[in-house]
Amino acid sequence: MGKLLIVSVGLLVVFTAWLLYGPFGDGEPPKLPDFYWGPKTKENQKEDTTIRPFKINIDEKILADLKTRLKLELSPEGNRLTPPLEGIGFEYGFNTKFLKTVTTHWLEKYDWRAREKLLNKYPQFKTSINGIDIHFQHVKSQSKKQYKQTRPLLLLHGWPGSFFEFQKVIPLLTDPVDSDTNFELLIPSLPGYGFSERSHRPGLGAVEMAQLFLKFMQRLGHEKFYIQGGDWGSLIGTHMAALYPEHVVALHLNMCTSSHPRAHLRILIASLYPSLFMNEVDIPKHYPLSNLITKLLEELGYFHIQATKPDTVGVALSNSPSGLAAYIIEKFSTWTNMEWRKKENGGLIPYYQLDELLDNVMIYWVSNSITSSTRLYSETLTKREFAWDLDRVPVRIPVGCLSVASDFASMSEFHVKDKFHQLISYTRSNKGGHFAAFEIPEIFAKDVLNFINLLEQKAKPRTSEL
Amino acid sequence: MIGKVFIVSIFGTSVLIGWILHGPLGDKDPPTLPDFYWGSTDRKIQKEDRSIRSFKINIDEKILTDLKTRLKIELSADRLTVPLEGIHFQYGFNTITLKKFTNHWLDNYDWRIREKTLNKYPQFKTLISGLDIHFQHVKGQSKKQYKQTRPLLLLHGWPGSFIEFQKVIPLLTDPVDSDTNFELVIPSLPGFGFSERPPRPGFGPVEAAQLFLKLMKRLGHNKFYVQGGDWGSLIVTNMAALYPEHVMAVHVNLCMSSHSRTHMRHLIGAIYPTLFLSEKDVARLYPLSKYFSNLLEESGYFHIQATKPDTVGAGLSNSPSGLLAYIMEKFSTGTNPSWKTKEDGGLIPYYNKDDLLDNIMIYWVTNTITSSMRFYAEVFTLRTLGYKMDNVPVKVPAGCLYLPYEISGHTDFHIQDKYHQLLSFSRENKGGHFAAFEVPDIFSKDLLKFFNLVENNSTIHKFTE
Repeated sequence: MGKLLIVSVGLLVVFTAWLLYGPFGDGEPPKLPDFYWGPKTKENQKEDTTIRPFKINIDEKILADLKTRLKLELSPEGNRLTPPLEGIGFEYGFNTKFLKTVTTHWLEKYDWRAREKLLNKYPQFKTSINGIDIHFQHVKSQSKKQYKQTRPLLLLHGWPGSFFEFQKVIPLLTDPVDSDTNFELLIPSLPGYGFSERSHRPGLGAVEMAQLFLKFMQRLGHEKFYIQGGDWGSLIGTHMAALYPEHVVALHLNMCTSSHPRAHLRILIASLYPSLFMNEVDIPKHYPLSNLITKLLEELGYFHIQATKPDTVGVALSNSPSGLAAYIIEKFSTWTNMEWRKKENGGLIPYYQLDELLDNVMIYWVSNSITSSTRLYSETLTKREFAWDLDRVPVRIPVGCLSVASDFASMSEFHVKDKFHQLISYTRSNKGGHFAAFEIPEIFAKDVLNFINLLEQKAKPRTSEL
Repeated sequence: MIGKVFIVSIFGTSVLIGWILHGPLGDKDPPTLPDFYWGSTDRKIQKEDRSIRSFKINIDEKILTDLKTRLKIELSADRLTVPLEGIHFQYGFNTITLKKFTNHWLDNYDWRIREKTLNKYPQFKTLISGLDIHFQHVKGQSKKQYKQTRPLLLLHGWPGSFIEFQKVIPLLTDPVDSDTNFELVIPSLPGFGFSERPPRPGFGPVEAAQLFLKLMKRLGHNKFYVQGGDWGSLIVTNMAALYPEHVMAVHVNLCMSSHSRTHMRHLIGAIYPTLFLSEKDVARLYPLSKYFSNLLEESGYFHIQATKPDTVGAGLSNSPSGLLAYIMEKFSTGTNPSWKTKEDGGLIPYYNKDDLLDNIMIYWVTNTITSSMRFYAEVFTLRTLGYKMDNVPVKVPAGCLYLPYEISGHTDFHIQDKYHQLLSFSRENKGGHFAAFEVPDIFSKDLLKFFNLVENNSTIHKFTE
């Protein structure tokens, strides 16, 4: 009997060790080479390190061409949209009846020049990093209010979003009302998105973008900084935190996920008896697993085609404004609230303003970046990218999570513990979906401020430099 | 003591195996289907129009003008993103090659001439279950005498159309070395080309099987043969499983089975593949990791069409370049997956540009890309899965043409759980997914071989009764 006990304990120890140090174990951050993403012909030129002011000023030809295409698509002879099936809202995708409402507004009411002015409100710049021009907003405090410390904060968007998502939170973060800390904001467009140049060669995935954005922050004179991200921004920010803990002081995410091998284990094990492991509130979001898997299957078609054939699907999206609007705005419906799939207008009106939704679509259209934006998926889901093995590298710096009401990609506190070793803040909001900064800017900003102020107070008293 | 344990174990294991083989892995009976109706309710109130109306393709000039306008815009205000350095078709349709096709489409492709050729054989339309179904109906042209003339239904899939069969028509209506010739019925699937689309959800591969039985009956054929590839393969297989008293034999060029025992054979075979399969066959199915990663790489379109057809359909309905890239990519990868490494995707000069464009035009002029993709969304529903058709065996004679570059790698070893009378399984060394279109000689030769085999087998032949 005693022998049995000793052997059992021994096996348990071996198993735990294997779990923690074997295939499910943590890893070390890899050393990344210095990447170059520009055209081959310019590869040996010295990098231009200037930071050039930029204002969006779209060539009139592009706007005229857009109007021509919209007119054609909306004309009685040129109307080629198939009516929805009887009784169907958004269950088969973007409802074409409602799509006509969107594109009609786009053609007849949407005023790009007026919106362009708004998008140019804050200072923008471009600078070349790793051979490609990166567009960004750089916003400092506008008021005369005194703050204890002003910290650089990198805000990273995802797909199908853009820098536009952060416009409402900018003043809430540069000039917060109830905070010791305020922020100097850096809001870039990801490479291949909007006004940032795309890579000319294969290989620019999320890990490579992490290096690019470290260099970006360093170019702007920041060796230490905070990061906030959602969607791809969450993944890139997490990679930066794992790779460069000496530079990233803290990380805030509104899409908290982990691909650590033990996260998958946690997801499976907790499914056996969720209430034993998890906060009650979190359970219905992830269990039963069959529900989650069904949801993922239903919603990841775009992910699958973009991860494999971005150039194919990109052709129609680059050429048809209706096509691009449907493809992008569908996500603003389903990823804000999955229940909206039952509605003919996808729940979009009056929850969102058509002008705002179209601002985002326009950023893709006028810069013609939909194809390059989707390539991020095919660059990240490759053997090459998996070989960095960054998923198992833990993030040891402080992390704060904002868990919104409905983001099917988010994970619970229990699931992400292996990845985020210092998860010092996990906020559950009963509002909001995937595009948190855009949809619930006050809640978003408040959570970022709370998290950072918590850290600033915890920090040992020292000079105002990080 | 040991004896009792042994006996109980054997008994228990037998019960378990029996349950597995007859329960989840067992054959199922065909479901009884209600009489489906897809038309509008006021149409139903009227007496159903059973007329078979002559049809000729004659596209309104406005549609052709609109197409030219869009092509001109797309080619002049070029919004295509160039491929990444060193990349050809690995990320999808190469935009440099795309421009070659769209330029040809605008400058050289002559629809009116192509239309004439497409109208070569007699076409008709008739209302089945409330939907107007387009089809070609072709009989022997020559004066040659055949022992028997059999009705044969040919079903296409996605992103194909009835045009895939044009080259095999004469080879089947007037074969050179055959006792049997065929009276061909070549429809367009509902929602594809000139066939009306279902107006409400629910039209999947089982509903299609019933619809095409009704079509054959409408044409006076109570007994007939069926042949299909892609979705056509699934639909004719369903027909054979559901209606063995009507479907005398079934031929497919997509050798595949979703019977649960087939999956078992595929998975368990991984333990020792060469025990059951030849080296060549093994290479197509194993290792499982490679098989599934290839499948994942090529099934993005399937996934998005099965979930959001209306979303992706919006752009494809409006952009000719977009539609061309989306459909023609399949003619590259579906013909030979290794062509991804070629800048032209292997398409030029393997295929004739005009032949490829004919197929694109069928989708464009009828504006059916969205409705065609909805078929995928109707396949993976609780309703379709509820029919449990996968495990309903096909008991009538079956034949399969197994081409080297077809997507499925299932061999006769795998599909025998589905096709209980697999009389013919032909391994050829040329051809891919679009068999009738790409290798019409191999295709028709195999059909003739199979159906003559059926005709000459006196024990199973039941056409005359």
